[in-house]
Amino acid sequence: MQPAVAQAQQSMPVIGPFLAKMWPVLAAGAAGALVPRRDSRSERFWFAVAAALAVLFLTLLWPDAKVAAEEATATGEYPHLLSWLIAIPVFGALAVLFVPRQATRAVQVITMLVMAAEIVATCLLFKVTPKEGFWLEETVEWIPAWGIKYHVALDGISYWLIVLTSILTPVAVFVSFGSIKTRLKDFCFAFLLLQGAMVGSLVALDLFLFYVMWEAMLIPMYVLIGVWGGVDRIKASIKFFIYTMAGSMLMLAAILWIVFKYRALSGTMSFDLVDLQRLGLPLVTQKWLFAGFAIAFLIKVPMFPVHTWLPDAHTQAPTGGSIILAAVMLKLGCYGYIRFGMGLFPHAAHEAGATLAGVAVVGGIIYGALCALKQNDIKRLVAYSSVSHLGYVMLGIFAGNPASMEGAILQMVNHGISTGALFLLVGVIYDRRHTRDVAEYGGIAKAMPWFAAVWVIVTFSSIGLPGTNGFIGEWLVISGAFMSKGTLGQWGRSQAIGAAIGVILGAAYMLTVTQKVFFGPLDNPKNKRLPDLTRREAIALAPLIVLVFAIGLFPRVFTERMHGSVAAFLQDHTMRYSATPPEKPVLAPPPAPAAPAAKAGE
Amino acid sequence: MSIWFALSPILVLAVGALGLMMADAFSKSRSDLALGSFITFLSAGLFAVALWIMGGVPAETAKLVAPWIILDKFTLFFEATLCLGGAISSLLAGGYLPEHDLDRGEFYALMLLSAIGALLLAAAGEILALFIGLETMSLGVYAMTAFRRTNPRSAEGALKYFLLGSFAAALLLYGGALLYGATGTTSLTGIRDALTSGQFGSLRDPSRLPMVVLSMVFILVGLAFKVSAVPFHMWTPDAYQGAPTPATAFMSVVVKGAALATMMRVMLVAFGDKGSASWASGWPPVVAGLAIATMVVANLIAIRQENVKRMLAYSSIAHAGYLLVGLVASWGSGNPQVAAEGRAALLFYILQYTVTQAGAFGALILCGSRGREAVSYEDLAGLGRRHPAAALPFAVFCVSLAGIPPTAGFFGKLYIFRAAIEGGFTGLAVIGLLNSALSVYYYLRVLVYLYMREPAPGAPQAIPMRSGYVTAALVLAGVLLLYFGLLPGRSLEMALSAAKSLI
Repeated sequence: MQPAVAQAQQSMPVIGPFLAKMWPVLAAGAAGALVPRRDSRSERFWFAVAAALAVLFLTLLWPDAKVAAEEATATGEYPHLLSWLIAIPVFGALAVLFVPRQATRAVQVITMLVMAAEIVATCLLFKVTPKEGFWLEETVEWIPAWGIKYHVALDGISYWLIVLTSILTPVAVFVSFGSIKTRLKDFCFAFLLLQGAMVGSLVALDLFLFYVMWEAMLIPMYVLIGVWGGVDRIKASIKFFIYTMAGSMLMLAAILWIVFKYRALSGTMSFDLVDLQRLGLPLVTQKWLFAGFAIAFLIKVPMFPVHTWLPDAHTQAPTGGSIILAAVMLKLGCYGYIRFGMGLFPHAAHEAGATLAGVAVVGGIIYGALCALKQNDIKRLVAYSSVSHLGYVMLGIFAGNPASMEGAILQMVNHGISTGALFLLVGVIYDRRHTRDVAEYGGIAKAMPWFAAVWVIVTFSSIGLPGTNGFIGEWLVISGAFMSKGTLGQWGRSQAIGAAIGVILGAAYMLTVTQKVFFGPLDNPKNKRLPDLTRREAIALAPLIVLVFAIGLFPRVFTERMHGSVAAFLQDHTMRYSATPPEKPVLAPPPAPAAPAAKAGE
Repeated sequence: MSIWFALSPILVLAVGALGLMMADAFSKSRSDLALGSFITFLSAGLFAVALWIMGGVPAETAKLVAPWIILDKFTLFFEATLCLGGAISSLLAGGYLPEHDLDRGEFYALMLLSAIGALLLAAAGEILALFIGLETMSLGVYAMTAFRRTNPRSAEGALKYFLLGSFAAALLLYGGALLYGATGTTSLTGIRDALTSGQFGSLRDPSRLPMVVLSMVFILVGLAFKVSAVPFHMWTPDAYQGAPTPATAFMSVVVKGAALATMMRVMLVAFGDKGSASWASGWPPVVAGLAIATMVVANLIAIRQENVKRMLAYSSIAHAGYLLVGLVASWGSGNPQVAAEGRAALLFYILQYTVTQAGAFGALILCGSRGREAVSYEDLAGLGRRHPAAALPFAVFCVSLAGIPPTAGFFGKLYIFRAAIEGGFTGLAVIGLLNSALSVYYYLRVLVYLYMREPAPGAPQAIPMRSGYVTAALVLAGVLLLYFGLLPGRSLEMALSAAKSLI
């Protein structure tokens, strides 16, 4: 008791720790003041004092009163960049809450400023020199009794996805300001929170932290679809939520199991990926656990046959929601599969890879493309094209050689850009005509020349015309898959051929819809006087168009950053799955202390 | 330490209850009875916390009331938790009863007296003391259920509850009697000793074995009734719906918590030995079966409900299922380390459930005023837009009930299911997790109606009430919810230390 008092006295001059220590007292005081039916101020005041004193008494009595928040706020020197990347949007969201609802302009400005700050922080990432292992690693104890840590880090695999997130979220929000008129404050709040959670799950290396961030993405997205969506929005949003939640529950069970096994062998608890990777598991166990993780991630990707939530969610979501869903959230499924699915269960992932690649080609690339061919609703068409494009990404991941993996990661970014742009463009004509039916349009290139030009560029990027970003990604994936006898087995080449057929189908559905909507006679009188792109839409599209050509013409700039990490990851992965799986769970010794951060020894 | 101090949480409640009864009889104004009962609960809880901080009750003091009342840290933990639940419920009553013109002073006295029974039940280490605690607790709750005298639903619920409850109490008593016949003692530790020494225990006659099994089943059924596990849950929806909402909160939190405490004591102390759990009863698989049935049935029925209060009643049944998963896990397959952590997980779950469920009922109270109650989902439509301050707490508590991070409900589920996996019940944990994905549907429906639907033209709309009491209760519950959710470390340590004292 005595030290606690002394500690409290010492920290009196400093406001921050004082508040951190005394918050229960202040909270009790506030609650006391709110207690009931006391009209006179003085009575309320004395209630507050009494409550605060009672709690103060209790705090001082408390054995070794130590506030956990103190540890968490331990300030260090510069490299807290990743925490800043998470914190900026989250605190921005909280700041937005304090702006009056009616001040829509202020809400918009604050949101954009926060996102601009996020971009600035992302730009600092460019200064980071790629090195072996993880970059910008940061570890803080969170719940020590459970070995749960706040462990974040970055490597070449997640690098561009973070950049993509911080570029595309402002684009999505900015263009939404044109069409979202109701409850703008809630909209900005949800979006900022979503951005924080997405960045958080991209950098989390602690499984627990990852899980928390992964779930934290769900609620804002659910609200975005459910509140600002189309006619069937409630059904679509609940479908989205239940699908994802069911998957993540299985993942949680698998996480708990692996942590339990780790503790049984090492004696300490840890949710840290680096620790858990030391665990060698028998093949059968690995398969079960891998199934738990893979189902969660493949639902998110989404892969056939658990893709059915996607067309509904995309069609019903507002434009901004669709952009962010397609551009970033789906990628988190792919990313999670690489980082956790392959990272934790090398043998199971290797064994399942060939089969899953078949599913990705037939059920994803080809089936998705065929579905897209038959759609009359433009947005639904773009949604199915997502299923098809993510088939390439997954094929690249399953093929698991450097070329295909780099292609897959690049293709994630590409798909984010081109499909994000497509959803944005669909939103543009939907705002003008309030229909997405292809038959309603025709020849609108005459009415909206700029719009048509941008659409054609994005279409080319989406079908992978050389010179645009799509070409590089698809080329790397398909050529990688063609050379991957070691991972995809004897069917590797036919799968590459299947993927190539998908490219042709992709051209077929995209060009068909382009032809039907933009060219031919302008015979629907409602389309004669459609206004062209507004300034807001043009500004939102500009960075996407620049990126289409930047990646298409200078892919080396982008692949260079991921090169080292991908190679190291695959080398480590190959080494681990080539070893025979142990008969019963074993724990590898911890890596040499010289390079504690290194995931794989060279 | 004086025995009076050691028993202070129960005594404070008793004094408070009698004092409030006198105050009600002799005073004209009733508005402060709720505050009085809140302060009584709070001070009883603080006494429990103070005892805890002083390192628990010393052994020589505890011996004075031993085997009848056990004064270990486990008891203190439950005393504090139950008083917390009682405190929140009495604040809710302070807002609800005047609003709905039910403001009669007996309610608070009944609640306090019933809470004495609950505390006694949590502390009981002997079958007769257990029975007395159970009946004291139940009688008060029956009367509270019937408190809306003119309302037929209230009478129906109370009668159902009373008849089935008496039946269950009789079963429990019968089980106790059989157990006494077989082992010659009514103390739980004595029963354990009788059952564990020797191959069939020290039962002089192995032919008494069926008697032990039968009595175990009777006791289990009697207690399963109180925690409303399927298939003994039939009274729950009616009683919960008919009772005034603060009484519902009290039932779902305090009564269930106390029943679970005694269930832990009976199952883990008297029948917890590895040998007796396998031959005398084999209760872990049976309880696991109950848990699965409870979770699946309650979640499936909850999805079909149109009445929000009834949905919360079924949600409370579903949570009983998760609690039973924790009970199975805290058997720990006989491994003391795993068992201690399982028990800690269960205690933490009860703690966060107390806050969350009472908060959810409080939020429901806040959403309606007299004549404009929030009954069905439709009534809640568009509330998030019309009255954001009333809708927000409901949304937060529903998210916590659904177990979505970073709320307390998530950590509760996490610990329970982790304990189940460590105890070797992986299948049970997976079923539980899938069930909680299922439950998300009906919790989200609340959010859907609050924020995404607009009321149909002409349809009745709920109008939130204004009451400082309810606001204070929600603030208290909300702050604790975030505290358990973001910094669960300390409360978990306390739960672990309480769990280890259960022997």
